[in-house]
Amino acid sequence: MSPGPAALLLAAAGTAALLADRLWMVALLTVVLLAVCLHAPAERRGVYLFGALSTGLGVLVLSPFLWSSPDGTILWEGPTIPVLGPLDVTTTELVEAALNGFRLAALGLAFAAYALLLDHDRLVAAAGGARRSALAVALATRLVPSLERDAVGLAESVRGRGVRLEGARGYATLLSPLVAGSLERATSLAEAMEARGFGRPGVTRAPRPPWSVRDRLALPLAALLVVVAALWL
Amino acid sequence: MALVAVDGLSFSYPSAPPALRDVSLGLEPGEIVALLGPSGSGKSTLIRALAGLVPHFHGGRFAGRVVVAGLDTRRARPAELAGTVATVFQDPEDQVIMTVVANEVAFGLENLGVAPREIWPRVERALDSVDALHLWGRKTTELSGGELQRVCLASALALEPRLLLLDEPTSQLDPEAAALFLAAVERLGATVVLSEHRVARALDLATRAVFLDGGRLLLDAPRAEAAEWLSAERPLYTRACVETTQALSGETVLALSGVSFAYREALPVLDAVDLELRRGEIVALEGANGSGKTTLARIAAGLLEAQKGTVELRGSAGYLSQDPGRYLVKETALEEVALAVNRDEQKARVALDGVGLGWAADRHPRDLSSGERERLALAAVAVAEPDLLVLDEPTRGLDPERKAALGSWLQEYAAGGRAVLLATHDRGLPANRRIGLGVDSRHAPLGARVGV
Repeated sequence: MSPGPAALLLAAAGTAALLADRLWMVALLTVVLLAVCLHAPAERRGVYLFGALSTGLGVLVLSPFLWSSPDGTILWEGPTIPVLGPLDVTTTELVEAALNGFRLAALGLAFAAYALLLDHDRLVAAAGGARRSALAVALATRLVPSLERDAVGLAESVRGRGVRLEGARGYATLLSPLVAGSLERATSLAEAMEARGFGRPGVTRAPRPPWSVRDRLALPLAALLVVVAALWL
Repeated sequence: MALVAVDGLSFSYPSAPPALRDVSLGLEPGEIVALLGPSGSGKSTLIRALAGLVPHFHGGRFAGRVVVAGLDTRRARPAELAGTVATVFQDPEDQVIMTVVANEVAFGLENLGVAPREIWPRVERALDSVDALHLWGRKTTELSGGELQRVCLASALALEPRLLLLDEPTSQLDPEAAALFLAAVERLGATVVLSEHRVARALDLATRAVFLDGGRLLLDAPRAEAAEWLSAERPLYTRACVETTQALSGETVLALSGVSFAYREALPVLDAVDLELRRGEIVALEGANGSGKTTLARIAAGLLEAQKGTVELRGSAGYLSQDPGRYLVKETALEEVALAVNRDEQKARVALDGVGLGWAADRHPRDLSSGERERLALAAVAVAEPDLLVLDEPTRGLDPERKAALGSWLQEYAAGGRAVLLATHDRGLPANRRIGLGVDSRHAPLGARVGV
């Protein structure tokens, strides 16, 4: 499938997960998106899946304690904490927490599928008038893998000096150079782009393969998914 | 009429001493000019000024005038000059924009508004001219440094510019790829400014040479005259390859036996490789881009595990990667070097002095130039005096004088009873043995000596 329609479908799935109120529907969308992400190379998908699933799980675990609802059956009665109030857990709170957890996980997985599986160059080319914005988004998307590569490189360079990095604290010392290196690279990249004529009027596009029937079908399908999720689910 | 006129150009980056001082020169159409000078002499700044990036992109104090193809760079933005001017910067990793090689080469053509039907044929020709057509559909993130450098060169050649600015364009290329690229540059017929630390390579191609030092133009002369001046004034710039010296027979530090490695099952990088290094020895691994030099170096240093075979390291190992930017994790150069010796500042200062960076002890490592970063990284690795020192392309960004100093330093280091393993295309460094790696190591077994 061409990256344009595929990106639209992923965006529709993410939007549907936000709009739908039925838990089974949001859970189903999350599972489908997870299955899509599993098509990405194993060595690359780990960090994305961990980010998406751990965030969803965090919401599921924490939100019953941070948001209280008088409805539903009380499953556990906890102490009353100043500012936060009573730490009860009810069935309504659990369902709501699961819904929000799945929503967040679905959004994260939709982004992961976009970052891991789509050809961003063709997306930029397909963006037409919005080429500059599309390129900015594509470059921002590449930030995750390039940060990952830089982190591995920094850790390796420290090991190459015979120094051991131990625990979260050891790795945390690499955060500041990671950010500094990333900013430095962003400046160099901007310079290279300007030197290669980025921002000039009269841009053309290299010819790309035309859309297939599947690509064309993806557009109404994406719209349908959002409408159904908003109105009936 | 001259294509480029530089008149009384002086430039200082913000809060920094002048990088260029009253430089004047003209470039005629079709001229190939070798831009020479030590690290930090202003070569890269002059290239940026010719591309209009100085002052538009960098800011700072600009005096004088640069006119390229009738456009004054103070008024014309770099994007307007693109097409007329094409630039290849030092670090290929920092100038790749797209994710697929063919799209990367097409990027500039699309920006310039080249007719769509012409774009893919021009991309094909450009990649072919640097022997990189086989990389067409590859992801840019999967390429080696040398392969990436070829892609950057193809991206510049595809624009068919009138002025081609090259800042150390062959620093990561194997000799064959470098020769191929320089031939493609010559065929282009454009005016070329070639900043290059491998002086013989630059002078072979150039019709004229200019020499900068401390931001001042010390020489602007035809090739023959420039070669004479260099022989008299800067003899290290004209020195040929360093010959191999007799191998030593000290105690074994590293023994690799039947080592194999593949990043992907279908693409073996190393196959049943044997290698032995002894104390006092300097061994250079040579081979084309993608032949597995870096992989072997990382396995030797214990940073990568061999998938088959045995690796026996007797003692400690230190590894300096191709990218010195990875060694900048502290706030000052002194702290950076002291990291490997339990914050022993005394030892760190000695190591910094050893690479000529004593003056930079309190400077932030990211304020240093690329050649200075390379030396800082070397000090940061070598300060712990590992029994085996593994250096991957250590001459990147080093001028001939610094390279000679590095060569002497390596000899001294090895003479102290330690071993050095170099992965390099550069024959300007001393070695007891030079070992050739094939693109597929099955075809060129390790241990085969390469004639020097």
